[in-house]
This record gives sequence, C-alpha cells and structure tokens, in this order.
Amino acid sequence: MALLGQTVICGLLLGGMYALIAIGMTLIMGVMKIINLAHGSLVMVGMYVTYVCYRTWGLDPYLGMLVAMPVLFVLGCVIQHFLINRLLEVESILPENQVLLTVGISLVLTEIIRFIFKSDYRSITTPYTGEALLVGGMSVSIAMAIGFVIAMVFTYLLHLFLTRTDLGCAIRATAQDREAAQYMGVDARRVTVITFGLGSALAAAGGSLLLPLFYLWPDIGHLFTAKAFIITILGGMGSTTGALLGGLTLGVAESLGATYIGMGYKDVVGLVIFLLVLLFLPHGLRSLVKR
Amino acid sequence: MHHYRIWATVALALLALALPFIFNSPYYQHMLILILIWATLGTAWNLLGGYCGQVSFGHAAFFGLGAYSAGLLYLHLGASPWWGMALGPVVATLIGIPIGLICFRLRGPYFALAMLALGEIFRLVFLNWVSFTNGPRGILMVAARPGKILFYYLALGILGLALWGSYLLIRSKWGYYFVSIREDQEAAEALGIPTTRYKLYALLPSAFLTGLVGAFYMNYVAFIEPNVVFSLGNVSVMIILVVILGGVATLWGPTVGAAIYIALGELFRAQLGAANVLAFGVLVCLVILFLPNGVVGEVDLFKRLMGGKRRGDVGGSLGSP
Amino acid sequence: MRKKYWLWVLLVGLAIGGLLVAGCAAKGPQTVKVGVILPLTGSEAMFGAMEKNSFLMAYEELKAAGKTNIKGKEIELLFEDDQGKQDVAKAAAEKLVNQDKVVMLSGGYTSSCTKVIAGSAQSMGIPFLIVTGSADDITKSGWQWVFRGTAAPASKYTGALWDMMEKVIKPQRVALIFENTDFGTSSAKAFRKACEDRGIKLVFDQAYEHGALDFKPMLANMKQTNPDVVFAVSYVMDAAMIVKQMKELDLNTNLVIGGGAGYTMPEFRQNAGDASEYVASVSLWVPNVAWPGAKEYFEKYKQKYGSEPDYHGAQAYATMYIIADVLNRAQDLTPEGIRKALKETNLTTIMGPIKFEDWEGFTNQSRPTTYVVQWLKGKLEVVWPENVASAKYVFPVPKWKERG
Repeated sequence: MALLGQTVICGLLLGGMYALIAIGMTLIMGVMKIINLAHGSLVMVGMYVTYVCYRTWGLDPYLGMLVAMPVLFVLGCVIQHFLINRLLEVESILPENQVLLTVGISLVLTEIIRFIFKSDYRSITTPYTGEALLVGGMSVSIAMAIGFVIAMVFTYLLHLFLTRTDLGCAIRATAQDREAAQYMGVDARRVTVITFGLGSALAAAGGSLLLPLFYLWPDIGHLFTAKAFIITILGGMGSTTGALLGGLTLGVAESLGATYIGMGYKDVVGLVIFLLVLLFLPHGLRSLVKR
Repeated sequence: MHHYRIWATVALALLALALPFIFNSPYYQHMLILILIWATLGTAWNLLGGYCGQVSFGHAAFFGLGAYSAGLLYLHLGASPWWGMALGPVVATLIGIPIGLICFRLRGPYFALAMLALGEIFRLVFLNWVSFTNGPRGILMVAARPGKILFYYLALGILGLALWGSYLLIRSKWGYYFVSIREDQEAAEALGIPTTRYKLYALLPSAFLTGLVGAFYMNYVAFIEPNVVFSLGNVSVMIILVVILGGVATLWGPTVGAAIYIALGELFRAQLGAANVLAFGVLVCLVILFLPNGVVGEVDLFKRLMGGKRRGDVGGSLGSP
Repeated sequence: MRKKYWLWVLLVGLAIGGLLVAGCAAKGPQTVKVGVILPLTGSEAMFGAMEKNSFLMAYEELKAAGKTNIKGKEIELLFEDDQGKQDVAKAAAEKLVNQDKVVMLSGGYTSSCTKVIAGSAQSMGIPFLIVTGSADDITKSGWQWVFRGTAAPASKYTGALWDMMEKVIKPQRVALIFENTDFGTSSAKAFRKACEDRGIKLVFDQAYEHGALDFKPMLANMKQTNPDVVFAVSYVMDAAMIVKQMKELDLNTNLVIGGGAGYTMPEFRQNAGDASEYVASVSLWVPNVAWPGAKEYFEKYKQKYGSEPDYHGAQAYATMYIIADVLNRAQDLTPEGIRKALKETNLTTIMGPIKFEDWEGFTNQSRPTTYVVQWLKGKLEVVWPENVASAKYVFPVPKWKERG
C-alpha cells in the first residue's frame, strides 16, 4: 500500500511541475495553432539563466526563477516578433513550415548555449536538495513538494490573469477565433507576441523549479518538449485547467507504469495514453471536465 | 510532357549514372549515397505529406521497420539482409494500413502528433524487447560488404523508382484527389471522394518506399539500433526538413533538399568545427523564412511570376516534372 | 524580393565554395597522419573534448621527448567530429581515410559510432585503435583491423569486483538495475550470468531509460525486495539521481556498487553530494592508480584545463602513447605494417599494460585491469585489489540515518 501511495505522490508532485511547463506550451499552441518544438529549449535557457544567477550571485533557484522569467519573456517576444510572426503571414502550401522554423530555433538556442557553457553537466545544490520527509513509509522530496506548491500558485495566478484581466481575455479570444477577435479590436499580432513571451516565461519557471531536483545540460530541452506536448494534447489545447490535469495525469501514469510495468517502458505508458486521448478525446481531458 | 523535358530527364539520368565515376573517391561516393537515401525518404514522405497534406512526424517508424526487417532476418535466421529489401517494404506497408486507419481520423497537427507518438512507441518497443531485437545493442553485420559502386546504383535505382512512382501517382486522378484532400478535406468529401481511402493510397506507397530505404540502410551501414533508425530528431524531423528545404509538393524538391542537407551539413561539419550545428540551424531558419516554398518551390513561383505559359497545370501545387 | 536574392547567392556561393574546398583537400605528404574521430559537438561533447585535450597533452609530451618524429616525418593528429551520430562517424572515417590519407584511425566514443567506424575500417583495411567504445561485439567479430586496448569490453569491467565479492562482500540478495543502452545491457547481461554461475540470488532486475527524473517508483519496488547489495550500471547523472533518491527513500543496503562510468566521475560527486559517500564502483582507472604517470597526468590535466579528467581522458592519453609507440616500431607505414606493429605491442601506459591478444572470442583486445573503487570522505579511493589499494574499504556501509 505504501508503494502505491509513494508512486502516486511522486507522480502528482512531478506532474504538477511538468504541468507548469506545459501550460506555457498550451497557451502558445492555443493562440498560434502551431506546435512549438522549441519549447523545451526555452525551458533549458531559463534553467541556465537561473543557474547563472546561482553561480554568480548565490541566488537560490526559487529566487533566480524570478530573474529567469522576465528574461525569457523578452526572449520569447523577440523570437515571436521577428521570426515566427513573419511566417504567419506568408502563404505556403503547408502550415508546417512554422513547426520546422521552431525546430531551427531550437537548434540555434541549444547550440548557442552549448557554445557558452559547453556540454558539461551542471548541477546546483541547495540546503534542501536530497532532503525528504518520510510519511508513513512514503518519501516525499522536499524540493519536489516546494516546487509543486509554487507550480500550483503560478497556475492559479495565470488562471486569474486569463479570466480577470483584459489582456488575458484578449489572449483567450485570439485563441478561440483569431479573426473574430480582430473584429472586436484585439491586435492579434501583439497578443501573439505577448503570449509567446508569457509561455516562455512559464517554461522558464517550470524549468527553474526542476533545477534543484535534476541537472542541466544543453540537450535537456528535448525531454521537456516531448512531455509538454503530451500534456498539452492530454489537456486540450489552450486550456490551463486541462494542462494541469494533463500534467498530473501524465505524472501519475508514468509513475504507475514505472512501478508496476517496469521503468524501461514508462515512457510508452505516456505515449499510449497520449494516442488514446488523441483518438478518442480530441479536445482532451478538458472536455471531460466541462461536461 | 514537352520534348525538352524528356531530353532533360534523360540527360539528368545519364549524369546520375556517371556520377560515381566523376567523384571517384569513396568519401564522395558515400556522400552521394546518403543524398540518394535522403532524397528517396523525402520523396516518399512528400507523397503523403506534401501532396496529400497529411504531415507525418513519425516516418521513422517505417524506416526502422524496413531496417529491422532486414536486420532481424540476419539476426534470427542467418539470412542475408538483402532479403530484407523485399521484406522490409512489405512489412512497412502492412503495418502502415492499421496505422493509417487509426490515425487518419485526426487532422492537421493532431495527425502529426499521433504519428510522432507512434514513431516513438516503435522506438521504445524495439529498444526494450531485447529478446527479439537485441535492444540497444543493435544488430551488427560482421561479414564484408560489397563496394560502394554497387550501393550507389542500387540507391539510384530506388530513388528512380520513387520518383517515377511519384510522377505517375501525381499525374493520375489519384494525384488530383490527394491535392483536393490537402486543400479542403470537407469539400473533397462533399464531392464524394472517400478521403480516408485515398489518404491510405498516399500512405501505402510512402510507407513502402520508406521501408525499402530502411532495408537498404541496414545493408549499407551494416549496423542499426533503435535509437538510430527510429529516431525522432534525426530521422522523422529531418525528412520533413529535407522536403521543406527543397519544396513540398514538387517532384524534385526532396532531391534538391537532400542534396542541400547532406552537402551543406557535411561542409559545415568538416569546416566549421564547434559551430557547425549552429550554422546549420541558422540556415534552416533563413531558408524557411525567406524561401517558404523550398528551393524548387520558389523556382516555380519565380517562373510563374515571370509569366511562363502553363497549359492545364494547377500551378506549383502539383509539381513540375 | 531582394532578401531572397541574397539568400540564393548565399546558397549558390556555399555550394561552389564547398566544392572548391573539398577539391583542394590533400596536403603535402610530409606528415604521418592519424585520424581521430570523437564527438566534438553534440550531447557527448564533454567527453569528446576531454579526450581531445588528453590526446593533445600526450602529443606535446611525446614531441618533447622526440617520439613523434617517424623517420623524418612528424605525426599529425587530424580530429574529426562525429557529433555522436553513426552516419556522421562513417562519413568522417571515409573522409579521413580517402581524402586525408591517414595511416590509421583512432577515437570512437559512443558504441554505435565505434561500431560503424570499426566496420568501415575493417572493410577499408585500415587499422583502427579504439579509445573508449566498449560494446562487446566490436572485438568479438573477428575483425583483424580493429584493436582495442584502453577500453575493456563492457562485460569485463567486473574482474576485480568478483574477487572482492567472493572474499569480502559475499552477497546473498542482489538487486540489479541498468540503463537501457548498449553498455548497460551488456554489463547487466554479464553480471546476471556471473551471479547465476555463482548461485547468487538476483532479487531485482530492471532496466530503465536513461535521463529519467524520478527513479523512486523503481527504487521503492527494489526496497521491498530487501537486497543486501545493489549493482547499478548508470550514466553519470542518472547515477547521481539514483543515489540521492535512495537516500530520500531511506533505502539501506550493505553496499551500492556501480558498474563503472557514471559512478566514478567528479560530476557524480558534485551532483549527489554526500549521498555519494561509500558508493563503490568498478573502474578501469582512477587518478591514484599505481601505474607510472597516472597521477602526473591527472594533476597536469587539471592544471592545464581547469577541470578534472576521468578515465575517458586517461584512455585517450594512453592511446596517444600507444600510437606513438606503434608508429615508431612499424617497419613501414603501410596499413599492414602498422597492423603488424599493433599486434606486437607490449607497452605499459598510465592505464596499465597493453597487449593485444585473442582470447575468449575477442580479437585484438587487451586484457583489462580493473579495480574496485569507493568514495571515501569525498575522494575516490582504490579499495581492491588490496595490494594496490589506496585506502581500506568500508563494508558494510553505515545506514543513511547513522551517517553524520
């Protein structure tokens, strides 16, 4: 029983943090309707910024995160404005050019970071790294717990932003129907730029929360991209609640898979669920919730 | 087809046959073979993705299936992997059928992601099913392999088959159906086109050719493992890149794209040291931004803008053989 | 439209430039060229860089000692980047042999690249001296042109360990976890068989995909089986995650033994912190190993490059010495001449004696000297065999809660 509890708790905590990264992607995908394969590299850049803050000024990663977020916001806006926005207006046979552009961007970001930091593995140690609470035979990592709480706070704040502010509503409107939003006076281009920036900032936050738990190297982005869009699809594009649910679901599913099937197949569990949701629940878990 | 086009194609074919003797060194021949491999992969993908509009991010699945068909024959039955060149495409095509039937209910990015997930599932299964596939240790062929010239002509033959097949397919009624599905699936259905069936008709030759190249790869490189042949980043995404670079929905686009990808990639690697992947990434971004229809696509656009006479062609969408 | 013209010009220019550059490749034949293929970019670049630096450092020393001059010509090292991808490795091998006319190949880090380079070398009839690639089947294929000295086959890393197992550890219930790679699977397979042969019970046996974040499900499962010894084959960062999470789970055993590589690197210690204490591992080399020059290599590298090398660097360094020795001894610099010289090698390097022999189905494989090492007070000490130990082993290790 303790094993099951352990598995579920680990899954939930980790899933919550993945969800934060995925929320960034679901916003971007919802507004821009493209698959952003550069998302993972944005997470990676955010983690490096936090890492640099730690190394240079001894800033705790939870504080360094507050530096990484604005930096990534700006970076995201710049990328969107100068690169991706151009493509939205160009007529091409396949809209997938945009996806390939994000692949190119991902390559460039990864290589620039590799240039600066080399491919070495970097890690940070904080007083609470490796500390865990033992509750009833189940181990809860403190860093995971803190990360989860912060992720939930951010999710809630984002939800408030999207529902209570004008800009938030503009973003949601653009995601629902770009042209209709423009008729209503929303500057879709500007909204897209801001959304990309916002998504990038959230990606940076998610990554920073994971930094005390994990380690850092330039290729770490790919792992996050994969998880992010599994969660995005699971939850339904454009839905923050969905991304949260999706993240938790993926976390628990992978955990259960790792415990009861075997760790080699853990990723297969996530992928199979992903496929099933794609096929049978096209609007993701969000549609289950709304019903 | 115009007379000059026939002559141009013949001249091109003769040039292609002579290439391994012009570039006499095995190093260049290796590059040429790689170009041929990627050109075929791109042309195959183009059938489904470029003409029919179903963008698959999981074509590595077919490539890997083809490669492993050859490899597993060698591993378990001791048979020569050349037999895999017959088995591989068949396996890939057969498995393509259920894949298509399942995934074609999805559209646009959802289809792309479903194929991506499938590609990854195949990779993980082949990686973990050690008793069957030898897992991460892969399959290594120890015996000596024939010389490069043989492989070159074989690859050339495969590309020729792919191009010829594409040409016939696109020029036929099926080709029109493909494009109509791409442009507006609802309208096509309203016209009575059974879209799922025709999407399948695009997928099957695509899977066949990709599997064929996979089996060829096993024979040529003599070592495969799941992380190489089922790779998302190095195979699936790169195939799409090759096609987009060269021009989707054009006959020669993927070949040109493959040439750019291999030649420039190797050039950067050999000359630029640590910055080679960066330079390549920048190039990709530039081409996508400024040549969104790919090299061949932009050439077509250019010719159209110059007011060339075209009889009965539907612009650049059907390709310009 | 103007931008497009520039892009066209750029593309065409690159194409022409490429052909030109490729055309004038051959340099004058005044040097003896040795091609070294390493992952200089890409995810393994850290090791590629370490090995390249070690090669260069060894080269400098040999040059100062006059050993790089072969009958009037200098040895020249030509490094090629394989990006960790096997197709690129093949292209690099082709280029080095056919364009640059190297007399022999070296390098080979990832297993898949090494396999492909070896296959190419074998079919081209050029000697290939492997630095790191440790997949068993590379030297089990009967390839006469492929030599492996500084790298042991993955299944043979555990020589010294079994000796210690018999004399000291005497395990009853062993848990085996390994990463899903060539190295991990091969090591696990050999370990499993060795346990079977000795009648040792494997109570847990699981593979995992490397790069995972959360090992707790697997470790919690393992905890339930109550092993007294854990044998883990992991990459460096996974290794750190595993021991950290063992600590969080309060998973206590008599000893955790790593299968080499991950558990002996400085990054393991840095990331795992005090969870790394008392972790043992098999190893091919540590800085304070008894062979002449080992410690000096470590100190010199650290001083020159600012970071600590591990056994990969030592492999590259030793290989350079082997290359110089071979080329000096070769009667002529034809492939056959060098191959013959390789076959006759009998040299002591910082990794121990190198002699290419055929044994147990291996061809041209040097017998590895292995050790058991243990992290004690933050330093990696050799604890077995006892006659070359630098510190006394700690067994059984104290429980997590009992540690300071």
